[in-house]
Amino acid sequence: MKGIKSYSAVLFFVLAGIVLLSIYGLLYGDIDTNFQDLYHALIDYSNEDMDQVIIREIRLPRILMAIISGAALSIAGMLMQTLFQNPLAGPYVLGINSGSSLMVALGLLSGIGFFNSELGLIGSALLGAFVFGLFILFTASFLRNQISLLLFGVMLGSFVSSIITILEVGSQAEALKAFTLWSMGSLNGVTIEQIPMISMVFIGTCFLTIFIVKPLNILVLGEDEVRLMGYNIKKLRILIVFVTAVFTGLITAFCGPIAFVGLAVPNLTRMLFRTQNHLLLFFGNLLFGAFFLLSCDIVTQLFSEVLIIPINALTSLIGAPFVIYILISKLR
Amino acid sequence: MIYLKNIAVGFDKELFSVNEAVFNKGGVHVLTGKNGIGKSAFLLTLAGLIKPLKGVISLNDKMLKIYSSKELSSHIAYVSSNPKGVSFLSVDSYLMLGRSNFTNIFGKASETDIKEVEKAKSLFGIHHLSEKFTNQLSSGELQLCAIAKAYVQQTDYILLDEPTSHLDYANKRKVYELLDVLCKEHNKGIIISTHDLELAFKFPFEFYVIQSQERMFNEVKNFKDVEKEFSH
Repeated sequence: MKGIKSYSAVLFFVLAGIVLLSIYGLLYGDIDTNFQDLYHALIDYSNEDMDQVIIREIRLPRILMAIISGAALSIAGMLMQTLFQNPLAGPYVLGINSGSSLMVALGLLSGIGFFNSELGLIGSALLGAFVFGLFILFTASFLRNQISLLLFGVMLGSFVSSIITILEVGSQAEALKAFTLWSMGSLNGVTIEQIPMISMVFIGTCFLTIFIVKPLNILVLGEDEVRLMGYNIKKLRILIVFVTAVFTGLITAFCGPIAFVGLAVPNLTRMLFRTQNHLLLFFGNLLFGAFFLLSCDIVTQLFSEVLIIPINALTSLIGAPFVIYILISKLR
Repeated sequence: MIYLKNIAVGFDKELFSVNEAVFNKGGVHVLTGKNGIGKSAFLLTLAGLIKPLKGVISLNDKMLKIYSSKELSSHIAYVSSNPKGVSFLSVDSYLMLGRSNFTNIFGKASETDIKEVEKAKSLFGIHHLSEKFTNQLSSGELQLCAIAKAYVQQTDYILLDEPTSHLDYANKRKVYELLDVLCKEHNKGIIISTHDLELAFKFPFEFYVIQSQERMFNEVKNFKDVEKEFSH
């Protein structure tokens, strides 16, 4: 693809797709509503009307969360892939959201007061992601092989899940249920009141990302080139891990682990855009990621009368074959 | 002027030492020596990527270590011996990365940046590669692009680690001719390491050898002195 115009056109179409899918998702589901309900639910809301309540309290936060999660995880994946110069990197496979999972499990299952509060949960999920991110970064300096690093990430994930299993065995039935539901990954858990806070963190982190696109562009050539161009590589690495951790931790805290979005979407974006310009890739991942997870969400809603597919299961169903494809085609 | 006094070069342990050396603008300085003697380490030291184990390096009468890495990148460009080709990174975008000191905060190129890249492509004869992705280039083509990228950085000094190692004879010759042009017409100071000495000696370059027995850095005047080093 060439020229800013053609990129803008593609991005515009995806944006239009997101808007259309959102409207569809707001209108239809177990109960079908109409445009009038939608208008009222958004503009002059009354909680007397059942249809309006469904749209505003149930569907709207779920759809906004699908958009934000898809975008955040995809951008996080792009950052990881550039940082480790590895197309198979992503917040999930590298075990970064295992850090969040561990902290959330501690909170939900152990019943320690601080962790159980909402802020405590989010804070500890972010911290868990950041600490695990730094751990992966540290390990990457010893593991030069791309596959080894991924294996390390997967091992980290297994290690954490055994700890979580032990926590589960010793926990109360109520807590266990809450945690199990969370661990399946769900976009339903967020209330409309939480959306402004989540959006603000998301947008702030997006701005941080936009301001490091230039060193990211150089980073694809290797860390020495970044240093030669006068950037502090250590600061850059930590900033990348921090941004990734905020994106991943935020989403993991509210929606549970969502696999493979952060791995598949950045690869798709790069293949489609055929560029290493991270400003374009940023907007590509933002919109493709949002579109992808929103589509997944709509699909799960379509089947919701028959069976409720956890979003994490659907993304893995699509994502895992894609990883195998990349393994075969790129890293033979 | 790059000036070195009593420096010891090496990553962790000393590989060799330099009593005194001066590299001026407007000249091509060719460095040779046996494999593993520390030529690459020497260039990395001058580029500021590794620190000398002891001694002083100065650039334009100011200590090299005082320069911020940003400042240094506007004085010295470095080309590694194995430039990396990246999928979906076109030659044009690759060259534009050399303009990082000039492009805006999002990496957007100005008219001048585009003009400079065009100029470099003509000078190096790589216009036909513009749209190609860097991972699709032959290692020789990639090496030419990497030198062009250092050229658009518009630094006074360019350091090149074995710039001719992957090239065929015609391209080796072309690179030396280009380096000659860069120093004479653009007043660049160029420091290279190489094993292609017979060809290099046909040009009016200055030669240095890192002697393996004394582990010393010395200037040499003729090809015989170099042969002496490689004869034992």
